[in-house]
Amino acid sequence: MASTRNIKIQTEAKRLLQEKAVDVVIGFKKGTLPYKMQPCFIHDAKEVEQFELNGLCSNNLAVYLNHRPKGEKTAIVVRGCESRAVQALVLENRHARENLYLIGVPCIGILDIQKLQADEQDPILAVEEEGDQVRVTYRSGEKTFKRIEILHDACLHCNHPQPMHADMVIDEPGYFEDKPFDKSYLGSFRKLSIKERNARFKEEAERCIRCYACREACPMCTCEECFVNHSRPQWTDSTTNPAGQQAWHIIRAFHQAGRCVSCGACERACPMNIKMTYLTDLLNQDIFTEYGFEPGADEALLPPFLTLGDDQVKFTDQQEDSHAD
Amino acid sequence: MQTKWISKKDFQKLVSKWVKKHAVYAPVHNGKELAFQAVEKPEQIVLDGYLNTRYPAKSLFLPQSEVLMSYDGILHSVENAEKEKIILGVRSCDVRAMRLLDHALIDDQNPDEYWKRKRESAIILTLGCNEPEETCFCTAVGGSPFSTNESDGLLIDMGDAYCIYLLTEKGKVLFKDLPDTDEAQLKSVKKMTKQVEKDMPALLPKLELHDALMASFETDFWKDVSQSCLGCGVCTFLCPSCFCFDIVDETVRKERVRNWDTCMFRTYSLEASGHNPRPTKAERTRQRVMHKFAYWVDLIDEIGCTGCGRCVKYCPVNIDIREIAAAALQQDFEGMKK
Repeated sequence: MASTRNIKIQTEAKRLLQEKAVDVVIGFKKGTLPYKMQPCFIHDAKEVEQFELNGLCSNNLAVYLNHRPKGEKTAIVVRGCESRAVQALVLENRHARENLYLIGVPCIGILDIQKLQADEQDPILAVEEEGDQVRVTYRSGEKTFKRIEILHDACLHCNHPQPMHADMVIDEPGYFEDKPFDKSYLGSFRKLSIKERNARFKEEAERCIRCYACREACPMCTCEECFVNHSRPQWTDSTTNPAGQQAWHIIRAFHQAGRCVSCGACERACPMNIKMTYLTDLLNQDIFTEYGFEPGADEALLPPFLTLGDDQVKFTDQQEDSHAD
Repeated sequence: MQTKWISKKDFQKLVSKWVKKHAVYAPVHNGKELAFQAVEKPEQIVLDGYLNTRYPAKSLFLPQSEVLMSYDGILHSVENAEKEKIILGVRSCDVRAMRLLDHALIDDQNPDEYWKRKRESAIILTLGCNEPEETCFCTAVGGSPFSTNESDGLLIDMGDAYCIYLLTEKGKVLFKDLPDTDEAQLKSVKKMTKQVEKDMPALLPKLELHDALMASFETDFWKDVSQSCLGCGVCTFLCPSCFCFDIVDETVRKERVRNWDTCMFRTYSLEASGHNPRPTKAERTRQRVMHKFAYWVDLIDEIGCTGCGRCVKYCPVNIDIREIAAAALQQDFEGMKK
């Protein structure tokens, strides 16, 4: 039984393909596991019925724009975070906006498999979403959650669930309203002492297995060569020792300052459940405080680190704790 | 085959004895997930109702990062002696992977000493899977949830007791004073294991799949299959039978280390000249799947995937190797080439 949201996505995809307005439509389809959806790439109007969007669509589809052949006309189903990622990529001159068609969908949030699967040894057999309710069948029995209880943290802290800059928006309500920039959830982290912050960072980073799922799932990680792969000179320790794990996580975060769209796709891709959006959100909060800039939100405003010249650098050593709330 | 019977209570006492003499590794909850860890008390061990560890057991023998030698003007080789250790509660899929890795790392003129030393000093006790997960498919790739291969002993959970198949001399020593299983007990074990195996996926046609994949090599099949691949290392790093590594000199620490590497990374096959023989995700995905389902078959007439399902479960975009194998069997590759 297809929801009206899905039918509307399919209808728009069909129209675009039939009219040859685009070569491909990128969306989601059912996966092979009851708790997973697969990104899918449809070229033929006859196949659009595969498109589905629900709370289990955990990836940021904008990442695929970085994989597509140059010059392809691409339509892409975007929620709030995906639309901001596309916009941020366009502003960084990664993609030509005229080659893209954004099918906007007001976001219903992304479910956190870690929250669903509190007991990892009790497999999920089915997930059914009905409005605000999510019914999960485990091997041990059934359980009903409120959507808000099992949303991914990135969605709980999202400021722009509504798609931005879209070419059309599916006329179906989302679950959240946009709100002004607010990352106040970070207050508790900022209040910690340096030692405590470091301990928290290490606890997360030192579970890393260096698989780089976070990097590959990120639409904003577009470097031809990542710093960790550079061998002459070698920038970081190559191993899964704390030195290597910490270097990866801290430098990755810094490369996202004012660029991360806070979608949380990195965390959802991580096979070790490592928390990392708190780092990029901290940096984004700094960027917002200093420059009033939010990645992907504005039509034309360039990110600070793209416009900042040497003559404009005004950082001082005293700024260390200006956000301590 | 000799079988023994031990109540779970007595088994715990037995493990307490082992812990005093040997290093014992078993699934332990580390606060985040189940992982093989050195055990101090038998109460830490999670054997009841556990599906599998997230991180594969191969890491006990081929650690993700391992120091091979250090240098400080002169070379220092790392400590040679390995303490004898018991690895308790490994699932059949991970045990079967040991044999595949033995083939890759030992069975030739130049055995990998680091792997070999750890293997020779280990006693492996398999725990049969009474309730395999939905992502499990060991039976499809030539394994069994109750495999007696490559292990020193197989434990089968019979509710309040374990039935133990003694498979090697090392295994016999560990369980030597226990009573033999009686006929009724053995019958109930066989009945249960048969039922579990019956409910699992059917055996893949190994040769047919091998031939289909060989025919697929130059087709667009791989472009389609790999379209959603992100190019991360989850599938291979969590795989019990992947063994590729990269050797790096960590010059600051003055150590030569080897780290797991993966054919799914672009840099894996990138040559010094800048040429990359596997330039896109299509060739890299093809390599992963064909290594498991075609090249291993050429080498030892066995599928090199053990069906643990970790790559299926943890792939961030739900690329499912079972789905790829099924699609390859369906596809008319000869027609596709035209």
